[in-house]
Amino acid sequence: MSSDNLSRLAVAVGITLAAYCLLAPTDFVVQVILWMALAAVIAAAMRFVMLIGEFNMATGAFYGIGAYTAGYIATSLDWPLLLTIPVAGVVAGLVALALGYATMRTSGAYFMLISFAFAEIMRLFYVESDFLGGNNGILGILVPAWIEPYYPAFVVIVCMMLIVALAVVERSHLGKIFTAIHNNEQVVRSVGINVLAMRVTCLVIASIVLGIAGSLYAYVASVISPGDFTFMLSVFALAYVKLGGDKHPVGPVLGAALLTLVAQYLLGFGAYDQLFYGIVIVMAMLALPNGLLGRLAQLRLVKPLAAALHSPGGRDA
Amino acid sequence: MSTFVQLLINAVQIGAIYVLFSLGLTLIFGVMRIINFAHGEFFSLTALLISVQVGWLTSQVGLPPWADYLLAFAVALVVLLIISVLVFRFGFAHYLGDMTSGFILSLGLVLIMQGGMLELFGGYPRSVPALVEGSITVLGGAISLQKLLICALALAATGAILFMVMRTPLGVSLRAVAEDQEAAMLQGIRYRRIALYGFLIGSALAALAGGLIAPLAVILPSMGGEFLIKAFMIVIIGGLGSIPGAILASFLLAAIESFGSFYVDLPTATIGMFVLVAVVLVLRPQGLLGRVVR
Repeated sequence: MSSDNLSRLAVAVGITLAAYCLLAPTDFVVQVILWMALAAVIAAAMRFVMLIGEFNMATGAFYGIGAYTAGYIATSLDWPLLLTIPVAGVVAGLVALALGYATMRTSGAYFMLISFAFAEIMRLFYVESDFLGGNNGILGILVPAWIEPYYPAFVVIVCMMLIVALAVVERSHLGKIFTAIHNNEQVVRSVGINVLAMRVTCLVIASIVLGIAGSLYAYVASVISPGDFTFMLSVFALAYVKLGGDKHPVGPVLGAALLTLVAQYLLGFGAYDQLFYGIVIVMAMLALPNGLLGRLAQLRLVKPLAAALHSPGGRDA
Repeated sequence: MSTFVQLLINAVQIGAIYVLFSLGLTLIFGVMRIINFAHGEFFSLTALLISVQVGWLTSQVGLPPWADYLLAFAVALVVLLIISVLVFRFGFAHYLGDMTSGFILSLGLVLIMQGGMLELFGGYPRSVPALVEGSITVLGGAISLQKLLICALALAATGAILFMVMRTPLGVSLRAVAEDQEAAMLQGIRYRRIALYGFLIGSALAALAGGLIAPLAVILPSMGGEFLIKAFMIVIIGGLGSIPGAILASFLLAAIESFGSFYVDLPTATIGMFVLVAVVLVLRPQGLLGRVVR
């Protein structure tokens, strides 16, 4: 696997945090680490679909599909945790396959609009479905006793593996096709690649990852309701990506970690939360076109970082 | 028969508001190539401002209800236009034609406006008292005068906008820019100025829709979101940037909403609309009356 110093550093930090979770599985810091890890996956999945030049406003919705799938089969069917998590990923992937084939035929703004509407449709579907608990959602999604002490560490490790998996795909042959579709779709078409299939593949990969992350979240929260997975979640994900920088896989992780920390320690929830995230997005747009990572690279503080950013997909080691 | 007529009139009334709302969205897209996600916030802010002012005017000044309403409407429209000019000048003007950046910026604006509205007005539902009382019967279907009046106003406003776009120099400039920005600039059209006018007209349309819905709806900071989702479906079905498409799709979705919520229920009708949108995208990706925008 090719990698660069920035990615190695990020993985090292992740392992350290996972180790901390093993040592103190119940304190508040661990809760914050869990939110950071999950937010980082959502942001990474958001950025992954941005590789083909699309904004997936249903990012939060696919995370919700994973959470609801896991919640339903854990509480109503009593399946074991290690089975519900992959199933949640598969279900989210299948929904993405259907949505993608129906809506990815045109480029431009259409997918953005339809994915935004899809997030709202999923919310209506949860509210209308009695077997999913309607407005109240699903309660009592409990972590089995045998894994409980290790669960936070498990979540952090799985989140890290998901982010690494997305980064690996991005640097593979497939990832280069995704970037090429974004740069010039006609050229990709001219060498005989099925662009629609590739675009759908990109969405499906991101959605499987989101589904798995959503199922982890269901057990962390133990209560899920329709309002948890609106398009606002996608907007927050976009804020993470824009703040961290979208040129490198570590960007969204950095943005997610920073904003989650700030939101946890400086703000309550409610109106100020939205204001804060909104200001972050606008400021990042106007002042940090390439995010914090881009700004750091400009300052030449970290030489290897600049090198990693200048070749999209990092250097081949 | 009477039920059918009532549902039909209801559909026309809902559709008329949808037309105003989605015309603004599609006009802004046509001229600036920006999807303004904050369109719904402009809409709800207008309704909120009107309801707050009408409440104050009724308690302080002894005017008739319709005069209170008109005064509040005028003030709200001015406030919205000032906000629009600022948003354009310090935001969108830097990203004209850049769909990605414009979209992200408008999302930031959504959060700021949502947070601001919650902070200023609170999250509890408000209302505007009825403008006119009473109802009339048309072909066996009863309809309140208030709905009839609002529907007529919305249709009149749509007619005025269509006249403006089709028959006035400004409208020709707007259409020229939407069709081919560079060619339009070669003909001496000042693109930035026309983009500003397009944005102001689009925002005014959102405000108009918000003002007209105010007496009929439960007014909340979040109300714009529901309209935005419907408007997105409308512009997908009608084709982005297509004015006739937006009008056709508005009434189509309004009919589904009106009849669907009577015979089944509203959420199911909304899910049905989404399925229709997906089918349209598979069969005609550029929308019913749209052109492929590159």
